[in-house]
Amino acid sequence: MKLALTLVLTLLFLALESVAVKYVGLGVARIDVTVAIVAFLSLRAGLLEGAVASYAVGYLLDLMTGRPTGLYTLLAVVTFLLGRVAGSLVDVRSARSFALFAMAADVTHGLLAWGIGSVSSKQMALSGLSGLPLEVFLTGLASLLLYPLLKRFGLGAERRDPGLLSP
Amino acid sequence: MFLGSSRSVREPNLVDRIALAVTAPVQRAAVATIDGTANAWHQYVSLRNVRRENVVLEEENSKLRADVVGLAEARAENERLRRLVHYDEISPGPKVVARVLGINPDPNRLTLRIDRGEGDGVKRGQAVVTADGVVGQVLRATASASDVLVVFDPNCRLGGRIQRTRSRVGVSGAGDEQALKLEYLLRTEDLEEGDLVVTSGTDGVYPPGLVVGRVTGVQRQTSGMFLNAGILPAVNFTRVEEVVVLAPQPAGSFPTRTDGQGRR
Repeated sequence: MKLALTLVLTLLFLALESVAVKYVGLGVARIDVTVAIVAFLSLRAGLLEGAVASYAVGYLLDLMTGRPTGLYTLLAVVTFLLGRVAGSLVDVRSARSFALFAMAADVTHGLLAWGIGSVSSKQMALSGLSGLPLEVFLTGLASLLLYPLLKRFGLGAERRDPGLLSP
Repeated sequence: MFLGSSRSVREPNLVDRIALAVTAPVQRAAVATIDGTANAWHQYVSLRNVRRENVVLEEENSKLRADVVGLAEARAENERLRRLVHYDEISPGPKVVARVLGINPDPNRLTLRIDRGEGDGVKRGQAVVTADGVVGQVLRATASASDVLVVFDPNCRLGGRIQRTRSRVGVSGAGDEQALKLEYLLRTEDLEEGDLVVTSGTDGVYPPGLVVGRVTGVQRQTSGMFLNAGILPAVNFTRVEEVVVLAPQPAGSFPTRTDGQGRR
């Protein structure tokens, strides 16, 4: 049920994001709503449940790019696993801290996408990471809005123990 | 030769089709909502201006202004559609007029989503244009929507021709909506800033004669075979609203070396 809900929300956000980008213009960086969802899952979902949901979220992102290669499916699961490790070190219980967490996840996701993409595509290597800062900022803003929504829909449960680095 | 980069795109499976079928109506609804809200806002602003100017004629003026807004929009749309009609001469056969729904979420794979799909006769590989020129080619079609790879995607290639000199050139995307790359033109060839680049029809996707853009930034190196230049696309991609999907190009309809109108 939660997986289905995750997929529905992902599709909805991806559809809305693509329309938003259309009105703002192609030149602007995208908003990585899927990374925000994966970051949320890494904080609150169980390992298997979260990994499967992240796989599905990544698959949908890959599908929506128009030229699915499996890159974003892989990266969603990797980001989820890295997020789980990071999530054990920090305590994320507010929209603001979640936005920072999602921004860190987006940086990781963007660097991995660029790094892996550069191996197979010269153009991607040349395109660089100039759009990443704006993309991370927009993702952070979107995460502020998404956090209460995702919490309300109950994707994953509240973690009992605070993170290792929390005061 | 199929110069587009759709070679690595797999056909959408059942799950893909369902997911894409679900998102298209959401995008349509979002576009309709935003456009409707914008129109309502413009009419509201017009109404307020009229009130300030003349309280007595408020009602009559507001109606007239709303009509003018509507007519101007209709006239602009008419003008765009009228300019699209000339593609009948370039590419005879059925065409599909489509509306841009959205832009897909990966900045490294530049594709647009349009609201026409297989159900409307759109198929992978068809050329997509506006009245201004080339937009791209259909990369993937589902029942009710399709994805279009835009020409400035770094993986996009097409065959072009300098209109003035008839020299054939390659055109590739540079990942920037303001610039395409002009390739494979010999250093000794005649090329000037502002030369118009049109499709050559040799790539099997685009019929000959479609406007691609104007030459910019010509650099003649002292070594090497080819010169470097860019192309400013004729289409303003941030303002694309309607596009025309041209009929597939029949096999053998492209110029061959023997009927060439020029040389490389």
